[in-house]
Amino acid sequence: MTASRYGFFRANALSLVFGGLFLVTLVGQAIAGTADHNARQVADGLPAVSFLDYVTSSSFGVDVMENWQSEYLQFFLYVFATVWLVQRGSSESKEPGEEGTESDEEQQVGPHADEESPTWARTGGWRTALFSRSLGLLMGVLFLLTWAASSVAGWAAYNAEQLGQRQDPVSWVGYLGEADFWNRSFQNWQSEMLAVGSMAIFAVYLRQRGSPESKPVGAAHADTGQTG
Amino acid sequence: MGTPTTLRLAAAVLVTAALGGCAGLEEDDVGRVAGAFEDPAAAPADRCVLLAPATLQTLESDESAPCVDVIGQVPLPGGAVEAVAVFGGQAQVRLDGDTVFLTETPSGWRVTAAACEPRGGLPYDCQVEGP
Repeated sequence: MTASRYGFFRANALSLVFGGLFLVTLVGQAIAGTADHNARQVADGLPAVSFLDYVTSSSFGVDVMENWQSEYLQFFLYVFATVWLVQRGSSESKEPGEEGTESDEEQQVGPHADEESPTWARTGGWRTALFSRSLGLLMGVLFLLTWAASSVAGWAAYNAEQLGQRQDPVSWVGYLGEADFWNRSFQNWQSEMLAVGSMAIFAVYLRQRGSPESKPVGAAHADTGQTG
Repeated sequence: MGTPTTLRLAAAVLVTAALGGCAGLEEDDVGRVAGAFEDPAAAPADRCVLLAPATLQTLESDESAPCVDVIGQVPLPGGAVEAVAVFGGQAQVRLDGDTVFLTETPSGWRVTAAACEPRGGLPYDCQVEGP
């Protein structure tokens, strides 16, 4: 069975399934978040809010954005770090000795590109330089955008809480110096670093048969960079 | 190329204007309610109806009397609106002589705390407030 005989859905199953799971879990968060928010509203003697009001609120916004930003930070760091850092024996790593951006021949760019290579891999100049880093750069830009959105939504949610507790609101710049902002950021970042570090080292000694995230079951622990 | 760019720009301007307009209208509503509550000429019943339900209940419970009988004893100097802050369903209005906190209810903005004195980094000390 060749990949060319696959229909659209089977050929894109990984992206589609995770896209679907993302939407389902986002709706789950919205439903559970509305119930949790309203339980606290009632406890504070305040009126409950509608589902629509909650999903357009800063409370929901910051809860979503603070998770998104950390995911994009994780992939941004991982994509760039794995260019220069290796983990001997890990399927997540290149072979020791291959650190760096590698040669044009190895990367199939410029004169080494073939007819199926993307246009910007063939053209050279700034286009090839940009395309050569586009995955990491996009992750970095998405991290900065979602972190900025997280700071704005977090600022609004923090001030709503301040006002509810009869305290003065703070400016956006003032919020960037508040413990609330850094607590939200660090608590998400640390979990991403743990997940990435765990995966890099677990992949040395453990296997998942058939998964490209793992080495072949029979591969030696010292084998690096193999997937199966 | 020109048309999509122009459309995107126009959409961005419209969204920004809509959001700014909404925020402006909300601040006007909040300021109006705080001003009416603190209006020295306001009748007790008109003030009581502007209290949030939990605040009204706390006031009547603490004083063991209907709101209309006790609201007149609360010093509400009022004055011109100096600043309005609205975040989520919560708001603060700084008047010349007082600081008022409000919450959004199905009936509109209602006062949760009034006759408030700042206490540094601590919550305001308010003579009228909810739980």
